[in-house]
Amino acid sequence: MESTLQETPQPGASGATIITASGLTKIYGEGEAEVRALDGVDVSFNKGVYTSIMGPSGSGKSTLMHILAGLDTPTTGSVEVEGTEITGLDDGDLTRLRRDKLGFVFQFFNLLPVLSAEENIVLPLSIAGRKPEQDWVDELISRVGLQDRRGHRPSELSGGQQQRVAVARALVTRPTVLFADEPTGNLDSKASHDVLELLRGSVDDYGQTVIMVTHEPDSAAIGDRLIALRDGKLVHDAPPVSADAVIELLKTLA
Amino acid sequence: MLSLTFKNLWARKWRSLMTAIAVIFGIALVAGTYVLTDTTNGAFNDIFVGANENTDVAITSKQQVAQEDGSNPAFSASVLKKVRTVDGVRLASGDIFSQGAILDADGDSTGGGFAPQFIASSSPEELESVEYVKGRKARGADESALDEAAAERSGLDLGDTILLVGTGKARPFTLVGLTRLGGASFGGTSIAQVTLPVAQQLTGEQGRFDQITIAADDGVSPEELRDRIRDVVPADLLVETGAENADRQASEIRDNLSFLSIALLAFAAISLFVGSFVIFNVFSITVAQRTREFGMLRTLGAGRSQILRTVLVEGLLIGLFASFVGILVGIGLAQGLSALLSAVGAELPSKTLVIATRTIVVSLVIGVGVTLVASLLPALRATRVPPIAALSETLVAKSNSRVWLRGLISGLLAVIGLALIASVLISGTDGGTGAARIGGGAIAVVIAISIFSPQLVRPMASVIGAPLQRLGLTGKLARENSQRNPSRTAVTSAALMIGLALVTFVTIFASGLNSSVTDVIDSNLKGEIILQGPGGFNPIPPEAAELASSIPGVEAASGIRFSNVKVTGAGGRSLSSVQPESVNQVIELEWQEGSAEDLTRLSGQEAVVSAGLADAAGLSVGDSLEVLSKTGKTVELTTTGVLASGNLEFLGDIIVSQQEMERDFGVDVDFFALVRTNPGLEVGEVQQRIDDAFQKPFPTVDVLNQQELKDNQRQQINTLLAMIYVLLALAVVVSLVGIVVTLILSIYERTRELGMLRSIGMSRRQVRRMIRYEAVITAVLGAIAGLILGVIFAFLIGIPLEGDGFALSYPVPVLATIVVITAFAGVLAAIYPARKASKLDVLEAVSYE
Repeated sequence: MESTLQETPQPGASGATIITASGLTKIYGEGEAEVRALDGVDVSFNKGVYTSIMGPSGSGKSTLMHILAGLDTPTTGSVEVEGTEITGLDDGDLTRLRRDKLGFVFQFFNLLPVLSAEENIVLPLSIAGRKPEQDWVDELISRVGLQDRRGHRPSELSGGQQQRVAVARALVTRPTVLFADEPTGNLDSKASHDVLELLRGSVDDYGQTVIMVTHEPDSAAIGDRLIALRDGKLVHDAPPVSADAVIELLKTLA
Repeated sequence: MLSLTFKNLWARKWRSLMTAIAVIFGIALVAGTYVLTDTTNGAFNDIFVGANENTDVAITSKQQVAQEDGSNPAFSASVLKKVRTVDGVRLASGDIFSQGAILDADGDSTGGGFAPQFIASSSPEELESVEYVKGRKARGADESALDEAAAERSGLDLGDTILLVGTGKARPFTLVGLTRLGGASFGGTSIAQVTLPVAQQLTGEQGRFDQITIAADDGVSPEELRDRIRDVVPADLLVETGAENADRQASEIRDNLSFLSIALLAFAAISLFVGSFVIFNVFSITVAQRTREFGMLRTLGAGRSQILRTVLVEGLLIGLFASFVGILVGIGLAQGLSALLSAVGAELPSKTLVIATRTIVVSLVIGVGVTLVASLLPALRATRVPPIAALSETLVAKSNSRVWLRGLISGLLAVIGLALIASVLISGTDGGTGAARIGGGAIAVVIAISIFSPQLVRPMASVIGAPLQRLGLTGKLARENSQRNPSRTAVTSAALMIGLALVTFVTIFASGLNSSVTDVIDSNLKGEIILQGPGGFNPIPPEAAELASSIPGVEAASGIRFSNVKVTGAGGRSLSSVQPESVNQVIELEWQEGSAEDLTRLSGQEAVVSAGLADAAGLSVGDSLEVLSKTGKTVELTTTGVLASGNLEFLGDIIVSQQEMERDFGVDVDFFALVRTNPGLEVGEVQQRIDDAFQKPFPTVDVLNQQELKDNQRQQINTLLAMIYVLLALAVVVSLVGIVVTLILSIYERTRELGMLRSIGMSRRQVRRMIRYEAVITAVLGAIAGLILGVIFAFLIGIPLEGDGFALSYPVPVLATIVVITAFAGVLAAIYPARKASKLDVLEAVSYE
């Protein structure tokens, strides 16, 4: 069954399959109060693809991402990251998985207020006890346009700048997958554009894999592949055509 | 990651500082106690070593039973002759060194408060323990030397007259020399030196010595000479080298002073225990507020152990900082305590402060240990924050502890604690283990209460907050706020509860002690006038009672003496003696077996015993008991009567006749004397007559009527109570700091809500009031819980004491005042947090994320 899934042609760019999820269900509550946040989702992700996940509130899009990222466990089903089954991993293995293979960008930036921009960027390396490659860090900092802001604290940065720091932080470990949870949800349109460009660039220039949850059509349109969920089921999986087409799609889902 | 911890601490510096304060006080008291006692012990050591500089061998009597005044009995002067025949003895001198009183010509004491005064004989120059800084030593029978500190205190100089009082009447002496002992100040203690025969007369030790000091011939080592002398003197004498003698005396003083350090350390422990509650609360709140941050760190790949480490390292750093500051404050405190003690007359010898490595190490270990232990639980909670918390919107994680588990653990702890206390109360384990068990039991009960208290906070806060609610919306909100995070309010209040439980406990106890003393004086003393030594704990000459009985208007005057003894099978007991012919005129006792007649008939080796001793040793009339005296004599006494319990045993456990006391127990001075006046005469008039008659011969004897005696006792109890209050205040202040921190942290959490309230029209004043009410609710919660706990403890511990005539009394107005003061302290604690809350910028608060 797994092999058939892996052979399923995927929309968007090609590359080796790095995440495979099969038969995912997530059920909250019991009996009358039972809620099926995910109801039998099979999906896989290839390297170097920018995937947007959309869906109305309660569609299960966040739950799906949480489970793919090992932040939550499915009621049934399995998730493999680079051939490793992660649903049964213990805390230690999950920690190593996050440390080595996953990167996160959050809606509310989640920077440490006591650290400078640069210190926030290299934080995952500090946690792992690794020395940062200065060339790579410098490149990331210039890429996110914060050369003259590297010593500033988050409180001295605009929201857009903070989110760009967060993106650099997610990229600094060269993760297998970068998860972004509504990364533009808290930004104005100019800042949103900058952040999306950054994510796009990481895919194009570094071959980064990005999985992003969003409810903004403009954001979703920048990806290579658009997945939509409704009532816990996968209802759409194709490359996005345009923002307008995404809006139309959303209307059909609502 | 370590630098991150530093930065976090720095970013929350005021919070960290407040947390540190919780430990600083306790550590300061620990370090201060050690510095003070080390310095004092060191000074005493210097004094004794200096005094024995030229002494190769010293002979004293062995102390068979420890006495209240620490003195050793004198021994026969014939020993000196034998010592002089020993080969290798170049010089030997018999000395007197006994407690007495040194007064100026007007009869005023030259002493420094409570410090003892000594009458000593001068020795041959070589063996002299003092150094003459002015004048010469006493030669004539009316000459005396005095230490220069005492002379300075009383403005005396050579040629002036001083009065010396030993076991007889005061005698005048001319001052011919000023001395200094051991190079250091001897505390407030003073020494007068007279010739040997005069010293023996004054102290009633004719034909006896307190000590023999010996210098060896060249080439004979002190150890060798000591062994030779040991062979010729009676075995009940202690023969030591000069160094051994100095060591022993210094260590005896150390033991005597150890109660002081134990008491101070106990208060330090209380303060640290309270401090650990505050630390626990601050860390718990901080961890809750950082939930999202921990979640984020977990998503970036931080392991649980890394999260645990960041929190614990914060605790470690705060603990280190607090310990260092505490040590510094403690060194200052030692100086302050020393100054305070000398201000109240208990001057200790001084020299440069001794800061031992042990002081630093112990303070650091305790400070860091307490902080780490208190932050361990919050740190573990931090490790349970899931990575997904990084994505959640709510800041504060809900506590998921189960009520039944709380109930079980606290119930178990309470049972263990009460069992520990009960085991002491029932079996009566005395001394250190008993105190440790009671303390351990109390700690277990307090922790049990604090674990379960979140369940109690809601109902209690509802009741306490009810009157505030009537004051309007702010009162209602304050009441609700105090209940919305019950465990936080509970821990804050519990910290206060501990201090207040102890305050309540000692208040009730002291009040019970006061009323019991009054009771005893009212019901047991028939004598209207009491003759006692200075301060009530120095002996008076037996001639005083004799003189008093010859004064017109006095029906009877009867002296009472004391000595500590050991009873075979019943341990250390106190023994008193009475004058059989007059005792029943001055005291009235209740009897279990026998009657007052038995006291009149007391003779030879007969004794009346207390109910307590009769119980412990299974004695009844006709039985005999074996008693070891302080002179090492074993005396067989026959029981002729048993006193009823409830006499508060102010006569000790064994009563013998004055003659028996003198013959077998070697006590020839009265501890106090009671005077019965002729009926129909004004007591005050007789008192005045006695006072006048005593002026010249017995200037040190206080002549008190019953009311003055009661006041005197009450004053002593109240002085002690005041000192305990001051030390407990440390713990209470720490818990108030806890209220301040908790409030500030809660305000920080509620920024948005406060902004919202302000934006819909709440005034700054109303915000302040709301915060203030919340603080008052928390404080009163702690006060009432403390009050209840204190009353329960006092009640429990009072039960076994009832047999000794001790009755608890509950000073309701005082206790009510304590609650009111605590509520007011809550208002004070709220000043800063309330101002902070009222100054929040509305717009910023609303958009605060």
